[in-house]
Amino acid sequence: MTRSLKFALPVLFTLCAALASAHADRIGDLGEVTIREQALRFVSLQDPTVRYAVLGSVLLGITCGLLGSFIVVRKMALVGDALSHAVLPGVALGFLWHTSKDPLAIFIGATVAGLLGTVVVGLVQQTTRLKEDTALGMVLATFFAVGVCLMTMIQRLPTGNKSGLEKFLFGQAAAIGPDDLQLMAVVTGLTLLAVFVLYKEFLVTSFDEGFARASGFPARVIHYTLMLLLAGAVVIALQAVGVVLVSAMLITPAAAAYLLTDRMNRMLWLSAGFGMLAGVAGAFFSFLGPSLPTGPFMVLGATAVFGGAFFFGPRHGLVTRWWRQRSRAQRVQRENTLKSVYHVLEGRQFQGEGVSLRELAERRRETVEEARQQAAELCRHALATLHEEGNLIFLTPAGWQLACAIVRNHRLWELYLTNAAQIAADHVHEDAERIEHVLGEEVVRELERRLDYATQDPHGRPIPSWADLRQGAAPNVRPDDTVGYGSSI
Amino acid sequence: MNQLIPPFDFERVFLAPWTQHFELTFWIVLMGFLVATACGLVGNYLILRRMALVGDAISHSILPGIAVAFLLANSRGTTPMFLGALAAGVATTILIEAIHKRSRVKQDAAIGIAFTSLFALGVILISLYASKVDLDQECVLYGEIGFVTPLTQPVVTVGGLTLGPVPVVRMAVVTLVTGLLIAMFYKELLVSSFDPALAFSLGINATVMHYALMCWLSVVVVSAFEAVGAILVIAMLILPGATAALLSQRLPVVLLLTVVNAALSATTGFHLATWLDCSIAGAMVVMAGVLFCLAWVFSPTQGLLPRQWQRTRTNTALSAPEWIH
Amino acid sequence: MNLPSPESASLPATPHINCGSPGEVSSLEVHDLTVAYQKKPVLWGIDLAVPPGRLVGIVGPNGAGKSTLIKAAMGMLPLSSGWVKVFGQPVRKSLRRIGYVPQRESVDWDFPVSVMDVVLMGRYGQLGLLRRPRKRDREIARECLDKVKMLPYANRQISNLSGGQQQRVFLARALAQESDLYFMDEPFAGVDAATETAIITLLHELRDRGKTLLVVHHDLPTARDYFDTLLLLNMRVVAFGDTDKVFTHDLLQKTYGGRLTILSEVAHVVGQRGGSAKVP
Repeated sequence: MTRSLKFALPVLFTLCAALASAHADRIGDLGEVTIREQALRFVSLQDPTVRYAVLGSVLLGITCGLLGSFIVVRKMALVGDALSHAVLPGVALGFLWHTSKDPLAIFIGATVAGLLGTVVVGLVQQTTRLKEDTALGMVLATFFAVGVCLMTMIQRLPTGNKSGLEKFLFGQAAAIGPDDLQLMAVVTGLTLLAVFVLYKEFLVTSFDEGFARASGFPARVIHYTLMLLLAGAVVIALQAVGVVLVSAMLITPAAAAYLLTDRMNRMLWLSAGFGMLAGVAGAFFSFLGPSLPTGPFMVLGATAVFGGAFFFGPRHGLVTRWWRQRSRAQRVQRENTLKSVYHVLEGRQFQGEGVSLRELAERRRETVEEARQQAAELCRHALATLHEEGNLIFLTPAGWQLACAIVRNHRLWELYLTNAAQIAADHVHEDAERIEHVLGEEVVRELERRLDYATQDPHGRPIPSWADLRQGAAPNVRPDDTVGYGSSI
Repeated sequence: MNQLIPPFDFERVFLAPWTQHFELTFWIVLMGFLVATACGLVGNYLILRRMALVGDAISHSILPGIAVAFLLANSRGTTPMFLGALAAGVATTILIEAIHKRSRVKQDAAIGIAFTSLFALGVILISLYASKVDLDQECVLYGEIGFVTPLTQPVVTVGGLTLGPVPVVRMAVVTLVTGLLIAMFYKELLVSSFDPALAFSLGINATVMHYALMCWLSVVVVSAFEAVGAILVIAMLILPGATAALLSQRLPVVLLLTVVNAALSATTGFHLATWLDCSIAGAMVVMAGVLFCLAWVFSPTQGLLPRQWQRTRTNTALSAPEWIH
Repeated sequence: MNLPSPESASLPATPHINCGSPGEVSSLEVHDLTVAYQKKPVLWGIDLAVPPGRLVGIVGPNGAGKSTLIKAAMGMLPLSSGWVKVFGQPVRKSLRRIGYVPQRESVDWDFPVSVMDVVLMGRYGQLGLLRRPRKRDREIARECLDKVKMLPYANRQISNLSGGQQQRVFLARALAQESDLYFMDEPFAGVDAATETAIITLLHELRDRGKTLLVVHHDLPTARDYFDTLLLLNMRVVAFGDTDKVFTHDLLQKTYGGRLTILSEVAHVVGQRGGSAKVP
């Protein structure tokens, strides 16, 4: 306990108290010139430190991304977390081996400690009533505490260079040397090889362990192979990301990839790519300022990628889904307006000119203003034109076809439900209201065939025929307007 | 190696702290005991709800909460710290649920993503604004229980009566309130942990209980944070409860055992740290781990050894008549 | 750890209808199999010999150990006693001749694989280390998908399937294993009527080609029509034999309604063994 008053909270207090003044100085220090210079230095890759850092980040990104994919689909994300904490005593002991930073000794120590941790988790689960989360949390915390004790003991040793040790907590990519890089390359190579060679074994045991065992795969051996690789990945990531946040490099890029694809092999590559991206971004940002830790920046980089996938992923993204739903709702709305226009026209045997907003509003039980908005929406999609100062709606050929198709869908479905499913005629309207918007052409043809090309719905109204649809023009076309649909607004 | 482990000297390890440095020793052990008790009591419910790792997540993610609270409030008062922690705790809970309910990412990955992101944010905030002052990021991780004594901390006095250093008094209040809350809401907590559906039918809102528990967890974690740091809090949350669960299957007994366990690990941990001259909080957790291992091996009902012994004695492990009931 | 077999322990003999001609190698032979979870037996003293070419329904109440039996038979659970032989060989050596359809809920259907990938997994067991599925394996997988009428869905992600379709995929995967002995865990659970018919037709077809099938089934009324052989199970084998001989009121009563009867019988045996166990 030789450290001076290094005490998280009081320092935070002081820091925040002094923030108003000190903050300004700090920003001044990190003036634009410095940042730009540092950025240039980074991008030009002339500095060997930068080259090592970038290369190291790329390697660790690939390794963590690949293995993380299996971790995520096996629902073992928190095993990765526990494992990454459990390596700490191994790091400390490995460090002690030469009382200096010997990458190989640290690697071996950490891998052994990590594997030991996973074995203990398994044992606790098998032999006690404690559940997985408790077992993981316990092993994580106890191993980490042992590591903390060892590290504090090492730090008071008079001999040796201990400057590298605390870098393992939050990571410093700039501390990666050629020795470390060699080790990282070896581990990455082994991981790539294992994923390539054992792909089907990893896949089948991850998807369906029971089936894998029934087909003769040694599920346990495969599990521990994965754990061994994982321990290796954690250890090579330690130096750049730090013990605490390694699990994020395993989980977050893989989870982002998981949101973007439906195939394991694509997920593996995407995840490796994201890992690389996050790694380099982290190295870059931490390079901009003095003594900025790398790990947290890498993690936030990965989180940004995940956020992108979460909100804007083409299929599962939150915003994308919301947008799709909105446009679907708008389409349904348009189709319902068209249907109402059709109903109005049908109500007067397709006589008379156009449909007035008032008629539409009455039919839809809405105000004229709402009807005007809907009519405008139809115009925007070239389904109708407005005449008489916007009070009279005329359908364009496209609008007419769509209106016929919707009404046709509705009535065919009603007929099908009453005929085939024997549902009372007054119970089928609601269902048809929903299904009319989603029936595809093939289904409609099939319905027609099954209904013997019926011409009347259960309520005795005529079903618009294909001829009506193909005719392409409403029977109420204005005599003077046969040529230029949509030309006049 | 010899330099690493100092020779064991009974006098130095066990007697000197209490005779020569009583002031120091007393407050440190008391703080350790309070932290382990409060965390352990709350942790029991986390274990019951299979949410041990949510506790892990929250103990990490309150860091940005505290940092932002101090940035905004510009003071070192207790209130902004608690508020920041509460906000961060609730934010973590919501974030985890949002991720795993609104996408196909499973809960375990959601926990991992949420807390690492928030923790990273906290570390960056600290490193951006703290490099002028001598801040050590490691302390965020494993705290420094050695500085809770009156030698380094302001002392609380009420009506001329000296109570003790601020962090210890604060922790004591939190621990007492934890005990009170558990006593008051014992059946609600039990039912909502055991069977949320049953709780609903009894008129207990399980969601409210869930968030209340998370809020209180944040308060406990933030007050313990100072002493044992983010990561060792998780140890204190899980280890005492897990050990107790191996010794008894009745909740009141488990809660009581948690307190006993806290006292034991705080005291023995302190002596271990004195002997090895290492992190005190770390040593307390190591001792809690040792206690767990002892329970794991020797627990009369579920221990490895008693069970093994039973098996060889009766030969037919299967003939246990309990099954016939 | 060896329990005396139930027969030796003067338990009233269970109806054990012998089927198959003597001298024939059984597809599945189970002898004195006992499985326990934390000291509580789930299966107790199971003896079974299934001749080839049988479609066996495993029937019994909830908690009777139906799934446990097939898992234990495949060597996926530690046995407290007894042994299992498949085609006269220890089960470990004959896993290649076993096909398995697990319960549909046992896997995560969000897993990033396509229908084709899942069916190809059926080929993995025969491929061995370092080998990738080849064209021939893909052809087999396609044929199997076609048999369950799922070929049009080959490139779909598996979560975009209905329950019945998912079950068909599992069935196709089992077919792709090209095994001689199949274990199926509730293949009819939660599937539509059309799938149920399709599955049972397929099972009959497999049986007619000489395969042996053991199917866990939870719906008693249909069991009689679906299977030619029934195994009534409730922790012990209540009866095993041709459906028309086994599907009797008494035996079913004993399996389902007679839970107490069985327990009291077992209690009786345990009591007679004396010493080691006490019966309240």
